[in-house]
Amino acid sequence: MMTTDEACCPEMRAMSRRGVLQGAALLGASATIGSAVVTIAGAAPAAAASTLGTGTIVVLSLRGAADGLSLVVPHGDAAYYAARPTIAIPKTSLLAADSFFGLHPKLAPLLPLWNAGTLAAVHATGLPVANRSHFAAMEQLEDADPGSAARVGWLNRMIGTDTDTSPLQGLALGSLVPTSLQGPEGALSMPSLADSLAGDPAYAPGTPRTVSLGCAWSKDSSPMATAMRSTLAATPKLATALTQPDRTSTYGGSDLGAALATVARVIKAGIGVSAVTVDQGDWDMHTDLGTLTKGRMLANAGDLATAIAAFFADLGTLASNVTLVTISEFGRRVAENSNAGLDHGWGNVMFVAGAGVKGGKYYGTWPGLTNSLDADLTVTTDYRSVLAEIVAARTTASTATVFPGFSPTTVGVMRTA
Amino acid sequence: MARAVRRLPRRLDYTPGSYPATAVPSAPMLHLLSRFSYGVTPALVAEATAAGGQRAWFEAQLTNAYDGTAAAVADWWPDLKRSPLEIYARDLAGIRPAWQVMTDYVNRTLARRILSPRPVLEQVTDLLENHLHVPVNGNLVYPYRPQYGDLIRAGALGRFEDLLVGALQHPAMLMYLNAIGSTKAHPNENLARELLELHTVGVGNYTEADVKATARLMTGFLIDLTSGALTYNLAAHDTAPVSILGFTDTNADRDGRAAYVRLLRYLANHPLTARRLATKIVVRFVRDDPPAALVDRLAAVYLANGTAIAPVLRALVASDEFAASAGLKLRDPAEDVVNSFRILRANLVKPTTATSPANLLSTGAQNLGHAPFTWPSPDGQPQVAAAWATPARAAASLQLHTKLATLKYPAAIFATTATFLPPLPLAFRDLVDHLHRVLYQRPSTATVLQACCEATGVDPAASITSKHAVVGTGFATLLGALLDQPAFYQR
Repeated sequence: MMTTDEACCPEMRAMSRRGVLQGAALLGASATIGSAVVTIAGAAPAAAASTLGTGTIVVLSLRGAADGLSLVVPHGDAAYYAARPTIAIPKTSLLAADSFFGLHPKLAPLLPLWNAGTLAAVHATGLPVANRSHFAAMEQLEDADPGSAARVGWLNRMIGTDTDTSPLQGLALGSLVPTSLQGPEGALSMPSLADSLAGDPAYAPGTPRTVSLGCAWSKDSSPMATAMRSTLAATPKLATALTQPDRTSTYGGSDLGAALATVARVIKAGIGVSAVTVDQGDWDMHTDLGTLTKGRMLANAGDLATAIAAFFADLGTLASNVTLVTISEFGRRVAENSNAGLDHGWGNVMFVAGAGVKGGKYYGTWPGLTNSLDADLTVTTDYRSVLAEIVAARTTASTATVFPGFSPTTVGVMRTA
Repeated sequence: MARAVRRLPRRLDYTPGSYPATAVPSAPMLHLLSRFSYGVTPALVAEATAAGGQRAWFEAQLTNAYDGTAAAVADWWPDLKRSPLEIYARDLAGIRPAWQVMTDYVNRTLARRILSPRPVLEQVTDLLENHLHVPVNGNLVYPYRPQYGDLIRAGALGRFEDLLVGALQHPAMLMYLNAIGSTKAHPNENLARELLELHTVGVGNYTEADVKATARLMTGFLIDLTSGALTYNLAAHDTAPVSILGFTDTNADRDGRAAYVRLLRYLANHPLTARRLATKIVVRFVRDDPPAALVDRLAAVYLANGTAIAPVLRALVASDEFAASAGLKLRDPAEDVVNSFRILRANLVKPTTATSPANLLSTGAQNLGHAPFTWPSPDGQPQVAAAWATPARAAASLQLHTKLATLKYPAAIFATTATFLPPLPLAFRDLVDHLHRVLYQRPSTATVLQACCEATGVDPAASITSKHAVVGTGFATLLGALLDQPAFYQR
């Protein structure tokens, strides 16, 4: 004979009871639901920050390999203009130009951040050895542990360095969980708050449906079970994000804008989100990268800048707790191809914005460009040096744990903690 | 949020019920049908039984895949029969936006998966159409995309060599990965790289020099902007000799297409391509972590049979590794929708309006995380649980199942409550067992029973008469609980 506790899940009942008591500020109570643990703290949002640090790191991936030479133009390198007779951007059009670099004019919405010293660019970054396969490069970049065959992402290792095992500590905006967040630490994914279960009373703690789902999934060992448990465990806390105002309309109307608007609401809810991943696609411009009047770069760069600027404006004073970094799997060739586009290259630019950033400045070591069919922007700064500096400045995580076997070189883009 | 917390008594007996009157197939039959169909229904079990068992059924599926039985299924979207130029012109003229035609294409694919009597053909097409992926939402690709899909499906159970030659010379693929307009002065490497990395030998098995030589060999393709037809510009073709992964060609002809086809045939027969395809086939039909010995055997079968796909599938189904893999594959979002429609016995008919159920299938899959052939990069959608077992999918799937369990969403096209019920009265535990057998073709468990009891508040021993709420207004709650069981997600 099977009894309740043998066949099913005392854990879900336990969580249900605590969930009901959430409003009564039951501090520090936690319940294990399979591999996911939800800690329900009824204190003020600020106190819900994880032990990893009080801040959030947002990793914005420019999928498809963005052309960093268009976003941050090396106007001081003559080979750039020689190699790009159609698509080079004239020096006179550049923004925030110094004697060598300048920003794409569509990045104008970022100028206030740049001028305020909270946005910087690091050029000629990337993988230590060129990898021109989108898929292999993304895996390598986000796994960031070349010595191990285990598929664990660097952000997953980062959120695994503290005692917080809430699935909300890592959040992927979108249906899929990118490699950077994959691994043993639970993480949540959702396309938007409206797509989550938060706010649906059927999934409130202790309802018949919630208890039933706990029965069905608490002892299942399939991959889907982990996902179910994370979703069910995160739902009560996520509901508090719904109470934050939705400012999507100020983000420019792009998918990226909508995603970052959601991130802002989750951060404002103070539910202990330490790492967020957001994607912006369509950067693989083999054709029609275009000029300052037409082509694909205009809209992509404009969406990127508008959304990031709106994000930090929306965060208000909480912006001092959030660091955003952009990354792309590789850069593109120096010379344009026959379709006014660029084939797969190597080095790229990374933008770093927000908390702890020593901004208003271009960082990196310029390798010099060559005008030939096969020439790349050579990587002079391993992308992990940039990420490690952010991790060190903004979290308590050990960079040696997050980036195993890697010795970072100093970039200087972050204030030391 | 104010709903009362209601609890069943603590020490109930959740011994699972037993309703053997509702027959279920043997475990091997269930496994094969589940893995190679889009949802096992009582009708499919009956068909396999009548065929003489699952292996005989499978053989008939391979032998008769193109007997015409599946041809008319879901041929409900007339715009998919139009020429690329017509699709393009009608989009330009504002008669019908191209994205709607592409949604037709996805809907037709899903309708076929729900209805086709040849699910093995649809499964293999699914795999190969993702292997040779061209997204339906690709820029300027869309006019050619329906025909491209037709080409893949027509060749899915033939020789991979022929499929590769067809696909890699199709305007959809050439356009998508920028081989159209590529010239000897500045060869575009996009398709060249993906041909080597994705379609044939795989990452790590080619050099940058191979990519460049392949890109040069591909130069010359163009689209005639008046007719929409694929043409060729002799002046743009690079005629220097090529050497690619052991393939050499003088490439002296100003028309490089014959040499390009020679390369494609060479690559299709390359042992590394055999391994790559065998791996993909094993990952889709056996397990996410492909056993090396099985991959080796299937790669050898592929090469020994001139790159034919069917012999590889036969060997796979006969393998011990396949037999041992029951329950190990997770349905993807589209399979989630299709399986729901199949096991709830949707009466899917030709759509008449934009909101007819057959026109909502693509959206249904998208809401779960991914609609077929919308994957944004040329590697095609993932085939492993790691990609689809996400919290976002879990939430969306729960929400969908709750709606479907009403049997009225998106319309009342499903079997009625009465058709799901055995003769009553019956103990609740036996009712649950009957329903589990109907939906999943296997007996229930204590966990399933308790989940159903918690969801409905019904005691496992309760006698369920035809007047009981759980087979009336409460049936959606019971069905919803059953749709959210782990068994649902296993293909």
